[in-house]
Amino acid sequence: MKPNQDNPFKARLSREKLTENLVFGLLRGVTFFVLFCAAYLFWDIFSKGAGKVFEGEGILNWEFLTDDPQTLHVLNEDGVEQRLSSKKYYALKDQKTLNRWNEFLAGSTYESSQQKLKEAFSALEKEWQAEEREEIVRSFVAAEKDRLVNKFGFWKDLLSDIKATAVDFEVPEADVPAMVSGYFLGHLNQESNRLALVKSEITRFRATHYPIIEKLNVGNLQSLEEAYRTFLNQIAKPYGSSLSSFSDEIKTTYQKFLDANGPKEFGHFKEALIAYGQVREVVISDSAESSVWKSIQSALKPFEEAVSVSLPSTDYAYSGGGIFPAIIGTLLLVIGAMLIAIVLGVFCAIFLAEYGKSGRFLSLVRLAILNLAGVPSIIFGLFGFGLFVIFLDWNVSLLAGWFTLAFMVLPVVITASEEALRSIPQGFRESSLALGATKWTMIKTSVLPYAMPGILTSSILGVARAAGETAPIMFTAAYAKRSELPWEGLENWTDFFFQGVMALPYHIYVVSAKIPQNEYTADMQYGTAFVFLVLVLGVASLSIFLRNRLRKKYRW
Amino acid sequence: MQETTELSPEPASVLSNHSEIDPTISIKDLDFAYGSNQVLHGVSLDIYPREVMAFIGPSGCGKSTLLRCLNRMNDLVDDAKITKGSIEIHGNNLHDPSVDVIELRKKVGMVFQKSNPFPKSIYQNVAYGLQIQGVRSKRKVDQKVEESLRKAALWEEVKDRLNENAYGLSGGQQQRLCIARTLAVEPEIILMDEPCSALDPVATGRVEELILGLKNEYTIVVVTHNMQQAGRISDRTAFFYLGELIECDFTKKIFINPDKKQTEDYISGKFG
Repeated sequence: MKPNQDNPFKARLSREKLTENLVFGLLRGVTFFVLFCAAYLFWDIFSKGAGKVFEGEGILNWEFLTDDPQTLHVLNEDGVEQRLSSKKYYALKDQKTLNRWNEFLAGSTYESSQQKLKEAFSALEKEWQAEEREEIVRSFVAAEKDRLVNKFGFWKDLLSDIKATAVDFEVPEADVPAMVSGYFLGHLNQESNRLALVKSEITRFRATHYPIIEKLNVGNLQSLEEAYRTFLNQIAKPYGSSLSSFSDEIKTTYQKFLDANGPKEFGHFKEALIAYGQVREVVISDSAESSVWKSIQSALKPFEEAVSVSLPSTDYAYSGGGIFPAIIGTLLLVIGAMLIAIVLGVFCAIFLAEYGKSGRFLSLVRLAILNLAGVPSIIFGLFGFGLFVIFLDWNVSLLAGWFTLAFMVLPVVITASEEALRSIPQGFRESSLALGATKWTMIKTSVLPYAMPGILTSSILGVARAAGETAPIMFTAAYAKRSELPWEGLENWTDFFFQGVMALPYHIYVVSAKIPQNEYTADMQYGTAFVFLVLVLGVASLSIFLRNRLRKKYRW
Repeated sequence: MQETTELSPEPASVLSNHSEIDPTISIKDLDFAYGSNQVLHGVSLDIYPREVMAFIGPSGCGKSTLLRCLNRMNDLVDDAKITKGSIEIHGNNLHDPSVDVIELRKKVGMVFQKSNPFPKSIYQNVAYGLQIQGVRSKRKVDQKVEESLRKAALWEEVKDRLNENAYGLSGGQQQRLCIARTLAVEPEIILMDEPCSALDPVATGRVEELILGLKNEYTIVVVTHNMQQAGRISDRTAFFYLGELIECDFTKKIFINPDKKQTEDYISGKFG
């Protein structure tokens, strides 16, 4: 070979090399694209959500992590913007009201206003004297009866000369009675609206006398009038008692107001007065002109002004406060679903892997389990709703959510557990049996412990994934808002399982789908997503930690 | 023949006249099949107390299957069944419905080809058989563990690290640990399925020594591929071919002067 001959190893371009480079480039490109998308997802959520979690004093935003969700009130006072959760907003408002009230107490007009209110109240009290009150009710009934005489007289006229009526109203003669009963029914409707307190009694009267009302004539119109009069006499009684209960209420609240002399007590007193006024207006026809009523209204004015503090704000639902109940709810859902799924799944897997004899039935079971894995989560939600919520009557509850989520991850758990069981060397089983173990002892001592790392890892990861699903829990376990924590206000311990909870995925859905996204709401939306991601990462790390620990313990 | 130099010493005197003692295991005209595939054809064989019986033969001849019939390990295979004949231990039919397979396996221990200690400590491996029988007394278990490890000639090597994982032992030690584990449940018969096939020559030698030591107390049946091994450790040897028992006789006779031509061919390496 001559030394200056061409180098036989010199690179040459060929088809294969071109393909090689292309394939390499393509694979690398696709991998980097996937990596980029994943990185973008995490960066997006972390950058926008971390602000909410780490804002404010200290390292963590404890209010966000430990408070319940509230409406966000955005105040704009003198160009200074304040973002307050409901609790803080109302606390601020109460504080301002108290300040103003105290100013009023210290002011010069207070003594005279107080005196005026006392006088007006004692006048009102006089009105409640038993005889007078009965008198009021009696006069009310009498007035009602007077109105009736006119009305019934008119209807009687219409019925007694049907021919003339037909001409006057331009209707066929046969329709006149129906027209009159229409008038009567209309009258009853009006009355039941006007006398809201006895609405149900009027409805009952109408129902019992409907056969007569339907076929009115001069004769039975008379008896209907009688019946209606008796009815009015009867309802006079409930009116009397309701008036007296209202007056008792006013007296106690007034006493409390006098004792404490605070804005809150005044509010209660005023509420009681308003409720009384509504009944009074119906019963006492001269209500508007009554001097007693007028004087108490005017006596209240200075007090009312003292408590009416306005604090204008723009409100955004769910955007204030924190997400503590949702974090707790999600943790409860995950833990419960995990326990149920692992118990059910491992039992099934043991049967399939250790006891089941391979055959058509077993392949059918496996096929069913695999198909279950492909069912969309919303279908699981509907299944859980139909079976647990409706049929078993568990309502929207933790228990229903647990089972729905558990059934959703069951295919993953069963498949993973079966794989884990099958990966245990046959030798362990044989030597265990050869030493005189029964089949269950063999499984319990020589198979299950060694399969546990695999079972736990895949199961926990599966459940963590299912925990992020919104669809299965939105019908079965999740409330949009519930401020009480699951262990609060239980009458007995079983109630714990039959209560709905808030959950992070559903909360994310609610805050991002039901309220507009703007600078005031966005950090709540992303903050919740951020916390949820951290939670899922936590569960995943837990499962990996657990696996490594158990692997170290059982190594072969 | 070179094997003659490696033969075991003369068989124990009790074995010289079989007709006078009852066999421990008595296999009578046994047919065995996996589904429709018949693996054993009319095998009849007696195994006597405190002898080492070696099963030899080419792969697939049914020797391991026969071994696994002796403690009913074949029950684990779905459609395996005995189609004819019977196996008796001390005159009791093993496959009688009234036989408790758990009790049977306590009496007939088994050591497998691949050493498979549990991924637990050495102590727990040996104590396993006692613990699943419900022996709670710590003293009793301790005593039995030590006794079994001594019998398996492993005590001196592991007494200081009983609580370490068994997988820290060498292959030969693991196999002897498996033997100790079997001894702990006090079997009468020990079945060994190619116990040395995964071991190096030194470890093999130690296990063979152990087997020779154990035969004073136990009846031992060994399946082996290694004919020199059969020659070294067994009193009698059974040669199987295609599911049939071709010949069973004193090891010395099988190796020096077999009755059947097939046996001679196999031993001299013409096939196998």
